Amino acid sequence: MEKLKKKIGSISFWKWVIASVIFRLILIYFPQNLNLSSRPEVSTPLTSFRRLAEGYWLKQSSMSPYAGSMYHGSPLLLLLLGPLTVKRIEGQPNHILYSLVSVIADLVSAMLIRATGQNLQLAYLRTLGSLDLVKQIEGSEIHPSGDVAALIYLCNPFTIVACVGLSTSPIENMAVILCLYGACSRLIPLAAFGWVIATHLSLYPAILIIPVIFLLGRGPDAPPWKLFLQRHQQNGMLNQSKLPPGFSWGPIIRFAFWSLVWSVYVLVLCGISLKQFGGLWEMFKSTYGFILTVEDLSPNIGVLWYFFAEVFEFFRSFFLIVFHVNILFMILPLAIRLHHRPCYLAFVYVAIFSMLKSYPSVGDSALYLGLLGWFVNEFSDMQFSLFLFCGYVGVSLLSPVMHNLWIWRGTGNANFYFATAMVYACLQIVLVVEGVSAMLNHERKLRRLITGKTQDSKSGLLSDSSP
Amino acid sequence: MAETKEKSHSDEKPKPRVRPIVRLGIFLVSHSFLVSVVCFTSGVLALFLLPVLAKNTYISENALMPGSASPMLSNHHVSDGNRLVKDLTNSNLKSSETGIESHKIIAKYMLDVGAEVSFHKFHPQMNQFHPLHFFSSPDSGKIQENCSCSSYGINTVGIIRAPRGDGKEAIVLVTPYNALTSSFGEVLSLGIAYSVFSLLTQVTWLAKDIIWLVVDSQFGEYAAVSAWLREYQTPKFSSHSTLNAEMCPDINYLFEIKVHSMAGSKFSNSFRRAGTMTAALVLKVRDQSEQFDDTVSIYAEASNGQMPNLDLINVVNYLAVHRQGLRVNVEKLWSLLNSGWLKSLGEIFESLATIAKSLNPKFKFGIPATEYVEGIATLASSLYYQALGVPTGPHGAFRDYQVDAITLEISPKFSLDKVWCSDILLRGGRLIEGVIRSVNNLLEKFHQSFFLYLLTSPSKFVSVGVYMIAFALLIAPLPMVAASLYVDANSSKGDSSFLFAITDTDEHGITIRSWRWLNSAKSVFIVHLWGAIVSLLPYFICQIPDCSPTTSFMIWVLLSILSLLILNLVLASPLACVKASQEKEWALVKSVTISSVFIGLGLMSVINFATAEIGALLMVPMCLLARPLKLDVRVGTLRSCCRIICNLVLGHIAFPPAAFFLFKGMLDGFGSANVGDFWMWVESLWAWNSATYLFIGMVQLPCWVLCVSILFHSC
Repeated sequence: MEKLKKKIGSISFWKWVIASVIFRLILIYFPQNLNLSSRPEVSTPLTSFRRLAEGYWLKQSSMSPYAGSMYHGSPLLLLLLGPLTVKRIEGQPNHILYSLVSVIADLVSAMLIRATGQNLQLAYLRTLGSLDLVKQIEGSEIHPSGDVAALIYLCNPFTIVACVGLSTSPIENMAVILCLYGACSRLIPLAAFGWVIATHLSLYPAILIIPVIFLLGRGPDAPPWKLFLQRHQQNGMLNQSKLPPGFSWGPIIRFAFWSLVWSVYVLVLCGISLKQFGGLWEMFKSTYGFILTVEDLSPNIGVLWYFFAEVFEFFRSFFLIVFHVNILFMILPLAIRLHHRPCYLAFVYVAIFSMLKSYPSVGDSALYLGLLGWFVNEFSDMQFSLFLFCGYVGVSLLSPVMHNLWIWRGTGNANFYFATAMVYACLQIVLVVEGVSAMLNHERKLRRLITGKTQDSKSGLLSDSSP
Repeated sequence: MAETKEKSHSDEKPKPRVRPIVRLGIFLVSHSFLVSVVCFTSGVLALFLLPVLAKNTYISENALMPGSASPMLSNHHVSDGNRLVKDLTNSNLKSSETGIESHKIIAKYMLDVGAEVSFHKFHPQMNQFHPLHFFSSPDSGKIQENCSCSSYGINTVGIIRAPRGDGKEAIVLVTPYNALTSSFGEVLSLGIAYSVFSLLTQVTWLAKDIIWLVVDSQFGEYAAVSAWLREYQTPKFSSHSTLNAEMCPDINYLFEIKVHSMAGSKFSNSFRRAGTMTAALVLKVRDQSEQFDDTVSIYAEASNGQMPNLDLINVVNYLAVHRQGLRVNVEKLWSLLNSGWLKSLGEIFESLATIAKSLNPKFKFGIPATEYVEGIATLASSLYYQALGVPTGPHGAFRDYQVDAITLEISPKFSLDKVWCSDILLRGGRLIEGVIRSVNNLLEKFHQSFFLYLLTSPSKFVSVGVYMIAFALLIAPLPMVAASLYVDANSSKGDSSFLFAITDTDEHGITIRSWRWLNSAKSVFIVHLWGAIVSLLPYFICQIPDCSPTTSFMIWVLLSILSLLILNLVLASPLACVKASQEKEWALVKSVTISSVFIGLGLMSVINFATAEIGALLMVPMCLLARPLKLDVRVGTLRSCCRIICNLVLGHIAFPPAAFFLFKGMLDGFGSANVGDFWMWVESLWAWNSATYLFIGMVQLPCWVLCVSILFHSC
């Protein structure tokens, strides 16, 4: 019975995967009608396809790809994807090869998310087993979180739009997911590779090193020691075999080694590719420098462009520091509170930096919404779910309309568009806050199950149910 | 919405200490019935109060300075204009080939005063259905390649280069003229334009180029203007146009003659441009009139309810009334002028105002009842034409390129004979001269005054900040009722502390409860998907050749029902999946429906306010009242009987075709109603790329279907 159910589930999973891929392929055939690649929501100065093509063209004509402040991505992307921007197949849409690469990247990401989700779920169940909580959970339905996460990632309109809109964010997302997958399944070279590439492509994933260290040191789901001690104190005996493993430094050192290897490798490749054009310094200046100094103030769905268009020049560096430190400020408290759930920590980090980064696009949101699926079981009693859903739908419809009002009709102004950007940022904040509080509630619930079990269970529980 | 929702959610959690704002939210949500009744009635009332709240227009841009210079148009220029009128009326009688002849005459006159002249040849384009047109740039429409030589129009374009300008800006003057069936009014409008044109070649103050566009209106004025604009704004670099000219010998012949006869002059065979357009005026003269004064009618509505900057209307209004002694007129719904209840409503407002004034002499907000009725009639027509989303004249083509434009229609007091002709030429010419002179003063493009407004009279307007209040009051009940339904459905089992109820049996319940709306969201999504399919269907239906409107409409209805059934089968049954598994399932569906309607209306209010307002008047009561009939029948009290009746009436009225026929019947009488009319109307909507079409297909129709499915829900 259980097996049959699983089989049906996996069949419908593959059905949805195929449907989403077909949907992408259909959309790829109407690039002119949709004109997605020129939307500010999809293509930022960092992920724009047109800029990539421009950079490739500059490179082909023996100029620095960073000349004229057009291209701001990695030189490796130029080598890998650049040729696809000019290659055409007769009778097919212009950028079909590039689009296919994006589709494949999405598919691979989804598969990696699925595998990671399954890993996570196994670890979660193992933890429950070691805490003797399996019986309590048995009555409830446990959703296959890997499948759910992969489907959310694949069927999310944001992902589809980013994929069809020819932005490079599917590839950046794939690097991030590769890193998390490698860390979850303890493939240290792969994790290091994903981390290095993700950082190289878009800088912000660098902070994912903290969850990766926890993942490697402790495993994907390690309930706090305190919980075990509490549990076994009450039981009176300490079962050594069921205790979680301690923090092991071996994998981390190996991770550091591999990261070093990969970064040297990447830098050397970049150096070779940019030898005539100013070398690595030029690259750092126009990729990381461009990200950190927010030079391009063209509108996007973030909030920084508007702010830095308004701010006085002599305050600029001060506010640049403030905005970037904002991300760093949140790292430590979250790491302390959520260190035993590194994957969840990674999700929160991704959500935060995709909210506060200088050139956000919907591709970034697609990533954290996909990762959200890993925690369906924990989020089952999340508040504001309908409100958040309606908010996301409303904002993603309103934003293009406001842009149209501002740019094409001329009856609105920048404030109209910025208003939607602010609402969007608020929604993301609410999502993160509610997500974290749902997770904490879940943990509180587990703790209460542990402590409540030894006292004579049910009556005590009900009276204890309010926090 | 965010706040009320948030508040509503917070009351799920039983907290010992509740913040005041949360308590307010809980209060609002728990009294959502009362609050929604109050909000809705005050929203409707606010709509009727708009003429009272209207402000007098004022000229916001200081640079305009209308009427500060005395008009320079003299009798000499008027006689020039008269000459052109005479020549054109004579040529009218002369030959069958008048089309080309009269264009030659106009071109010759333009050349005589020293302007650059060129012809623009165009092929009339059928309007096509672009569902995505709204979100893209205006020039993304593809240009038809296959045009026959037999049907083409010729626009004559004259350009004066400004002696003081740098050639980067231009003002456009448009006169529609159909050379084949030219009426005296059209010829007279050419005369007015020519007299102004001949003046403007001599003046020294001109800082912007003047483009005089004589539009060949045999394929419709709008088509000709938009063809010229498309050519002007999106230059084609292919050899397409020249190829066409070579293929059509008779057109070539025309151009040959021109070049030879006017060698050495400023005639040019290619398309001539001036700078970016600051403003455009379309000038028309009506043949007969029933007015008691010489009047100028202003038409301003462009596609999707866009309006030109209010300053442009203000300038015209100011100059016409205060300088030329013309009466200014904007469209009214004439049928409303005689309605008794509006009059009595106006009297009530008037008496209220007098009472208020007697209490405190500083309160001055009353307007006389007759003025109120006129204001309502104007407001209604303003709303109607904006909601339709179809431009009211050729000026609509300019708005697509962010150029402010209006149509001026001059209707003289007497039938047009020679004496009055000169008088109209002089006054009309001076009006145009004054407007051009004041636009000429502009340093930047129009931006000071409003773009989003409704007119209640030529000199009174309601700005966006005022009319949005009425709309916000109308839709304010939606999020509140959605939240209260959501809370109700979630706590139906009476277990208030379910969030932390952690017994084994409840674990399952938690999982379902918090995300239970997903199921309802799915059904709502499917119905909206169906709405999108239904709105795409006409594109395919109109490919069928030889189809009368009635049969097309029938095919449409049949295909829609079929697609709904197929969607039901394939995805899930949106109507039946609301199984009785959960007793309050309908409440969740209603809650999600209301949320989606709220999003749709909010979105539409930004795109086209008038559509959203009219849609809200229909949909909000329907959404709020929807409740399974079975439940009400079972209760059988007076209140539930009222609700049943309201539901049934609204369920019939809010169905889009029914609403259309009702509206049409109110305006034209029910005798001439025909099923095919709705199809024709819809066709005109999508031909003009009206967002109203999308609104009806993707918001109103799905909402209606969902409400009806809630009504017939088996619980």
